[in-house]
Amino acid sequence: MSRNMSKNKFSKPAANQTPKAGDDGFLRVSLVNQSVFIRRKKTCPLRAIPISEINYKNLKLLNKFLTERGKILPSRITNVIPKKQKALAQAIKHARFLALISPIKKD
Amino acid sequence: MPLYETVFIARQDLAAEDIDVLTDNFSKIITGAGGKVVFKEYWGARNLAYKIKKNTRGHYVFLGMNADHAAIVELNRVMGYNEDVIRSATFKVEEHKGETALFASKNAKDYKAGKLAKKEPSKLDLAIDQVQFDI
Repeated sequence: MSRNMSKNKFSKPAANQTPKAGDDGFLRVSLVNQSVFIRRKKTCPLRAIPISEINYKNLKLLNKFLTERGKILPSRITNVIPKKQKALAQAIKHARFLALISPIKKD
Repeated sequence: MPLYETVFIARQDLAAEDIDVLTDNFSKIITGAGGKVVFKEYWGARNLAYKIKKNTRGHYVFLGMNADHAAIVELNRVMGYNEDVIRSATFKVEEHKGETALFASKNAKDYKAGKLAKKEPSKLDLAIDQVQFDI
């Protein structure tokens, strides 16, 4: 008996029940007296640029991904996809070797 | 034949004619070995980001080549010996793409400092301008 009971529980979804608030996949947050965080979906900033254009000659592009001191920004912050981050890091290192970008900027 | 790019930096106190002679000598090594120099660019006398062999400025020359590996090895060997070349780098590339973003003139002779013709921004330049991310 107990077996049948449990079977029925799973096989019959509650079709007649009206969906409660919060069942439709959205999180409802009351805005009163609460700080609300809106999380935007992050995308790769280099999606419009082909991987072949990420090279040591495009200094304008490379300079965007450096800190003030000349360090490479991590993809954790910039959200560049791994394939392009690898190309970017390699391009920056090539440009540094050719003295187009300084490896470190001292104050 | 595979495609290569070479960038070399010539000493700061070289005259424009000397740089052209130097470039011709290097391209002769490639053409002599059955290769081809597809692009020849002079990027101007640029400030170096750091001192290299007591030079603060350098003449950048770019060569786009279509040559065998043996010719490239020979080119690198000769450039290593030459005292006028303070640094050089060779890269293997998938394809050659017209003028580079750093293009100044075809020969060092034609170069006029501070008088670069204003080009219309290409599609890529506009795409680069739109690159943004939040920190």
